[in-house]
Amino acid sequence: MKEVITTFALLLVAVVGAAGTRAQTKPSIFSIPARLENTSCSGNPTFKPTLNGMPVPVRAELGPGSDQVILIVFDITEDLSRIDEARQALIADVSKLPPNTWVGVLRSQDGLHVLADPTPNHQKVIDVIQSLTSSGTPGLLETVHATLTLADAMIRKSPVRVSVLYITDGSIYSYRENYTDPVINPSDTHDLSRRFRDALIGEKISKLKRRISSLEAPLFIVQLHYRQDGLDQAYQNGLEALTKATGGDFAMCHSLAEVPEVISTMIDRIGTTWRLNLAVPPKIHSSLQVGLSASCGSRDTQLAWRSHIKLKGE
Amino acid sequence: MKILFLALLGLIIAVPAAHSSPDTQKNSKQLSGEAAPLTRATEEFKVLTGKWGMRPNSPPSAQKHFGPKMLWHGRVYEYFRNDSLDAIPHEVNQNGGTKSPLHRNQFGFSVSGPVIIPHLVTNPQNTFFTLSYEGVRETISRASLHTIPTAAQRNGDFSKTVDQSGNPLIIYDPATTAPNPAYDPSLPVSTSNLQYLRSPFPGNIIPSDRLESVVQQALRYYPFPNTDVGPFFENNYFVNSPQYDTADGIIARVDQSVGNRQRLTFQTAISNGFVSAPKYFPNLASPTAPDQHYSRWRAEISHVFTATANTVNSFHLTAESNVVQSGTGSQTPFPIYQLAGSYLSMGTDFPNSRNARNTVEVEDSISTQQGKHSLQLSFQADQYQVNSFTPQYPSGYFQFSTGLTSLPGINNTGDPFASFLLGLPQYAERTVITAPSYFRNSYQSLSGGDKYHASKNLTVSVDFNFKRHTARVEKYNRQSTIDPAVLDPSTLKMGALVFAGRNGIPRGLRPSSINLDYTLGLTWNPRGDSKTGVRASFHHWYEHMPIYNGQWGTQGFNARQTFTSANTQLSPALDLEGGIPPLETPLPDLSPSAADNTVADYVDMTNRVPVYRSASLSVERQMPFAMVVTVGTDYSAGKDLLVGSSTTSPNAIDPRYLTYRDQLYNQAFRLSLQPYPQFTAFDLYGLYPAGRYQRNAGYVQVEKRETYGLSFTATYEYSRQYDNYSGPYGNQDLINLSNDWSATPYHTPQYLQLSYIYDLPFGSGKPLLDLESWGRPIVSGWSLSGMAYWNDGHPLAMRPEFNNTGDVLSTLYANVVPGVDPHVSNPGPAQWFNPAAFAQPADFTLGNGPRTISGLLGPGQNRLDISLDKRMPVGDTSLDFNVTAFNFLNHANWNYPDTTIGPPSAPNIDAGRIIGSNGGRVVQLGLTLSF
Repeated sequence: MKEVITTFALLLVAVVGAAGTRAQTKPSIFSIPARLENTSCSGNPTFKPTLNGMPVPVRAELGPGSDQVILIVFDITEDLSRIDEARQALIADVSKLPPNTWVGVLRSQDGLHVLADPTPNHQKVIDVIQSLTSSGTPGLLETVHATLTLADAMIRKSPVRVSVLYITDGSIYSYRENYTDPVINPSDTHDLSRRFRDALIGEKISKLKRRISSLEAPLFIVQLHYRQDGLDQAYQNGLEALTKATGGDFAMCHSLAEVPEVISTMIDRIGTTWRLNLAVPPKIHSSLQVGLSASCGSRDTQLAWRSHIKLKGE
Repeated sequence: MKILFLALLGLIIAVPAAHSSPDTQKNSKQLSGEAAPLTRATEEFKVLTGKWGMRPNSPPSAQKHFGPKMLWHGRVYEYFRNDSLDAIPHEVNQNGGTKSPLHRNQFGFSVSGPVIIPHLVTNPQNTFFTLSYEGVRETISRASLHTIPTAAQRNGDFSKTVDQSGNPLIIYDPATTAPNPAYDPSLPVSTSNLQYLRSPFPGNIIPSDRLESVVQQALRYYPFPNTDVGPFFENNYFVNSPQYDTADGIIARVDQSVGNRQRLTFQTAISNGFVSAPKYFPNLASPTAPDQHYSRWRAEISHVFTATANTVNSFHLTAESNVVQSGTGSQTPFPIYQLAGSYLSMGTDFPNSRNARNTVEVEDSISTQQGKHSLQLSFQADQYQVNSFTPQYPSGYFQFSTGLTSLPGINNTGDPFASFLLGLPQYAERTVITAPSYFRNSYQSLSGGDKYHASKNLTVSVDFNFKRHTARVEKYNRQSTIDPAVLDPSTLKMGALVFAGRNGIPRGLRPSSINLDYTLGLTWNPRGDSKTGVRASFHHWYEHMPIYNGQWGTQGFNARQTFTSANTQLSPALDLEGGIPPLETPLPDLSPSAADNTVADYVDMTNRVPVYRSASLSVERQMPFAMVVTVGTDYSAGKDLLVGSSTTSPNAIDPRYLTYRDQLYNQAFRLSLQPYPQFTAFDLYGLYPAGRYQRNAGYVQVEKRETYGLSFTATYEYSRQYDNYSGPYGNQDLINLSNDWSATPYHTPQYLQLSYIYDLPFGSGKPLLDLESWGRPIVSGWSLSGMAYWNDGHPLAMRPEFNNTGDVLSTLYANVVPGVDPHVSNPGPAQWFNPAAFAQPADFTLGNGPRTISGLLGPGQNRLDISLDKRMPVGDTSLDFNVTAFNFLNHANWNYPDTTIGPPSAPNIDAGRIIGSNGGRVVQLGLTLSF
């Protein structure tokens, strides 16, 4: 009988707990990444967030120097010289990372593949990077949601900063999925449907933004190969839009010389990104506009942060 | 106690589903140095990546656990156009039309993702496919304005026919021709010194019994005027007839990964369709392209092998076929009646033809990174086939000019339609094809390159391509050409027909071309500033002799019967009623004289091929506000470019012989002045290497990456392009091409282009109208794209109204009047340029003006296209509704002005004027479901 009561009590509490969880249609806390644009702030800044215009408290903050996981995802497909330059730059930067920055390595062609679990053993990461090969088909657009979902789960599991860094050189023309809308009937001279050929890219980016709008990890992308044709410009703009939507950052290498500098800058930005846990008022729109200001001593400082988020618990 | 413990445990189980409590969070200082959170995060990483099939030891099918619905992506779409959405095109409106029927549906789908076949292909990470289909069903009206004879003219009544200045145009009776006993050969032919006397038709009316019966039968197929745009009786037939277009096509691709290092890809594209050109008249005499059925396919197998992190090998095998069948072949084609001047002709060339172009290509390429060198080496071999059956004039071609109804030697007399009514062609031709031709050639190349990273800020590249193009051969050696070095036994003159593979003549008639292309490039960041990039390149390359569709260069096996007038002012080429007689010698006729007295096909037997070189220099600077500015200059030039018979001819008469004046109308005398008088002319088929061009350009491009939802690119270019071959009416001097060096007629000196995308700032996640209510799906997901361009017009080309050069020059340029500015202060349709700046050259003289007037441009073109997109999420899919307006502002672009310059005695009153405009807003609706 005692066991029965015990079991019943256990189930009751579990059900109540679970029901309570389900009943809470919005999470009470969510986190956003934030980054100081100028690094002249000697002490910790004071963040003043608002949600849909209402001031909310910062429940916790993880700043530079705190535990961090960087998931580096390689999406390299083309010019070996750029890939090699990127490899060398990353190796140099990874070797300088502190021990409490763990690095995981993944590859994004033909789905997402783990090459190295997050580890403080940076030499192991360097060895993996050193042996990376290129493939002919980029996969960033196909895998970025999965990568951010993974990082989001890690953030929700443990109080660490988790960032995703894509290193890519892909062109929109190289994707397996048809974003460039090739002409199928070459004799169709009156085809006006392809006058605005970037529409498919815009649609894909829009869908991805919607899907990642409830994920909390910031996305950083380094495009190793800047391209000037119209479709690739739309693609590059789309990648930038994805990073901005997550509070991350995007950079392109206009020349080979830029590769080390851009990668190094991006690693620095990841390292100096804060994670702020904000309290959500009980009754609030599930699509949140975030306002954030920060002061450093007596002066306000310029910020980059995630300005919009959709609550996952909706 | 135990109950309490279990209850607490239950709470702990329940809570993690929610977000971690703020109390469990620690600030950075507290967390620093603690490994546990990192370990927990990493464990989560391992668990999830294992569960989602992302780890090397994951079961192959595990990845589909990460949302199987996401494995396949694609879209289904429909684009719809209908004239009820459009503005009436300006050219239709101006001609009184109230409708321009259009029905168009363009539909298709595209899907891609992993291939999963139960028990056969189970690893979703190894095999991928893409499949796309698109179909088009279209009926679209095409408007055009023409000149056709009036009802009176069809009956021989030219009493109201006027010239370009509005004065009566006199039609002379060729049956009354007689030599003028008072003619003084030492003086030019003129109205006061006629070489031949000829009487006008009484009342300027051709008697009905003189009208040729064959022509009268043909005229039953010819329409009557239906409008009167003018000037005078010109531009009197407006047609807005439908064009039909049906097309279907698929693209399919399968990728197979073999381990991490190899990838095998198979791709194929198949399309076929039907195109029916708009008919000027609704019968077989319409001078429009015949209906076409086409089918194409392409298949490619690729293998990419990543040998090491620094070395990749790629192999491609491609096969391609493109077949176009024109005409039905079920009925006898209508003969072509070509009327000189502006009259609409009858009949079409190539009424029944079939061309099949097949290509097989194999290529292997290896790339490797060795220290500071990026090296590449490739080998490529192609095999081309062109199987062609193309009788150009199977029912005959008959050309009618003013000459036979003119007063011989006097401009502004006679009429080509009057010559037609009398059945007096000045030239006739018929094509006799006995069998299709099966042309072949091949290409081999060995190419390589090195990109050397000399320093962090300097990269130098060198590329080369050592290549061989074989000459065109025919499967059964059924090729021929005129060889200028061979004696024609019939005429004892140099130049005779020779045949491939016979008497020491190579199968390809000309040698293979073996050339080395090369490119030098440099990328430099000055002073180590990576935000500034300088790029420079120089490229030198050779083109090859392509195989065009058609059976040019097969005389002897096929025939081109040619009939020319002994004197285009005095006698016809043949009797139209009798038609074209049968061939005198049956085919094949492999005698050296088989092409005598015809327009002979001339293959250049040297090893010359087009040579190009280009250089570019640009500076790119990254600017604040996410902008990139590029400033650059380009130079390109070419020589020995492929040109046709209207540009040059090895059998052309030197223009200095124009001094023979009216004697030149005597064909025998005129031909005696040609280098190869036994041939009427040479047909070069656009494959004679003699052209030259040069282009210089400077440009500025500003690219703005997205901020606040807006991104744009703006480009401005200024360029100059000159050449010696590009028309628009042919060259005046076919021997000295340097005399024809002028601005390229299709060149646009300046253009400004702007394209932009703007995600409208309202809806979900946007600053405005971020509604929670039902209105949220309505206001969210809007974006606006646009494209606008402003182009200069092209350089205008003046041409004189009359070409009295004894049939020596097929193209004559206008004279430039010194000191008269061709520009007008406010160019418009009433007067776009000043025609007084140009003049008709005197008889038997070259025009002294250039081929095109570089500083005098036609009307510019501009257009603004806009596309409005609305994206609506539907679960995991999305629906995209799209409205695109081409020429959104319904802007009318002017047509080009009349550039025909008449003499003072009969000026073209239309010179410099513009008749009408074109264009009109077109709206397309699109609906795409993406998944």
